[in-house]
Amino acid sequence: MAEDRTFLMGKFPAVLPGKLRYARNHMWCCPSQDGRARFGFTSYAIRLMQDVYFLDWQVSPGDRVELLQQIGHIETSKAISDLFAPLAGTIVAFNLELLNDPSGINVDGYGAGWLFDMACDSASLWSVEEYYQFLSENWEKTQRLIKGKINIED
Amino acid sequence: MNRQRLTVVLSQAQGKDPARRALEESITAALLMEPDLDVSIVPYLYDLGPEHTGRLFLESIQGDMVVLAWMYPRAAFWLLDRDGVKGHYGVNQITPPAEKDEDDEDGEPETPKGIGAVDVPERWIYCLDLRDHNNYEVYVREVRRIAAECRERREAQRQTGAPGQPTLVQLGLLDRQEEAAKPQPQFTAEQLLQQPTRRWYPVIDYSRCTNCLECLDFCLFGVYGVDKLDRIFVENQDNCKRGCPACSRVCPEHAIMFPDYKTPAIAGAPVGNISGLKIDLSKLFGGDDALKIAAQERDRELIADGRQAVGMTVGIPKRQADKPKGPKDDLDKLMDALDKLDI
Repeated sequence: MAEDRTFLMGKFPAVLPGKLRYARNHMWCCPSQDGRARFGFTSYAIRLMQDVYFLDWQVSPGDRVELLQQIGHIETSKAISDLFAPLAGTIVAFNLELLNDPSGINVDGYGAGWLFDMACDSASLWSVEEYYQFLSENWEKTQRLIKGKINIED
Repeated sequence: MNRQRLTVVLSQAQGKDPARRALEESITAALLMEPDLDVSIVPYLYDLGPEHTGRLFLESIQGDMVVLAWMYPRAAFWLLDRDGVKGHYGVNQITPPAEKDEDDEDGEPETPKGIGAVDVPERWIYCLDLRDHNNYEVYVREVRRIAAECRERREAQRQTGAPGQPTLVQLGLLDRQEEAAKPQPQFTAEQLLQQPTRRWYPVIDYSRCTNCLECLDFCLFGVYGVDKLDRIFVENQDNCKRGCPACSRVCPEHAIMFPDYKTPAIAGAPVGNISGLKIDLSKLFGGDDALKIAAQERDRELIADGRQAVGMTVGIPKRQADKPKGPKDDLDKLMDALDKLDI
């Protein structure tokens, strides 16, 4: 089992659990035995977005989705974003709790704040080390992107 | 109706949602009691075809106007502009409660770099989004405020002899003559409210559009064209494929809106890079492949039409083709787009 890693976003430590796999769109993935996997936002993504106000899904459980197909939308105190499928597969279930109160994402992003379960092959996703590398390589640019928009230092 | 009065047009919601109808009715009832307002109701603005009486009515309005509609103000404003109902963008003061963000210290106002509208008459059009509040009084108050603002502006223009005002106005001979010169067409409520069929087409925000013509290259259904001034415009609205927002994803300036699309950024929400309210992280979350998504959406429509899918081979913006040496990753592309915005 890989060690947990901590990526420093300014002074903010974004913890990346070693037992999870990671998608390029900043979602974590926790595969289970039955060919399903659970997905959620990494602490890195959550820190960028900050308080989640609204979450909406545009596909239904049972729907087949393609890699990077748009599946939903999120609005937070600092950002809006379309959400895309991290892999091709079939959506099994959404976390219904979040539709009533999406702040669960902020409270427990790696646990109760999970987003959806999907039947998929997660072998192509990154290890924590690869994701950490990806974040490091792009951090400069990300900072420029969010400069003046999101106060990352506090 | 004359130029001294403010015209208020309420555009109904699609469908028969009783809550929406109730809000519409409360607003109308309250506004009818106000002096100096002409209040009319038309069906859902986006659905009005060129032949619809509601369109003819809108085109006949001459002075300042307020449009209350179930869509983002930006979408409503540019939708009217496309239909020849032009004016200056009146800024309303209704802000959805959730969007009041005190700690947005983003001070520098961004100068629009779009090509702008042409032939804009000296009048103001204020668009209010009926989805912002469910209390009719908020809208009534705002319409009163706008009415006062328009009165003051007319006063000021009269005193300075601003362009666009006939000199007759200063002599106080105005209204009757003007009205006699241009008889206001009369429309019955039944004509105005005849239910149109649903439509689907893009709306261009010319305050953002730089006339790069990427949408023209991308769309294979002949929706876009250029006018006599070589400016892009939505030439054949009804050629557009219902539900498909692909060209909007291709637009590098996010100038193309589909008012009925679910995603706020595409429907014309006042967010994203340009308004500076909230940052759009879609590109970071996988939306860097917006072009790929757009190509897939287009393929779906091509196949539905019995045509060949073309994938990424046709009309994909050149900014993809001239990739320098190494493959660019998401953030490179994102940064390019942002650099262009000069934030």
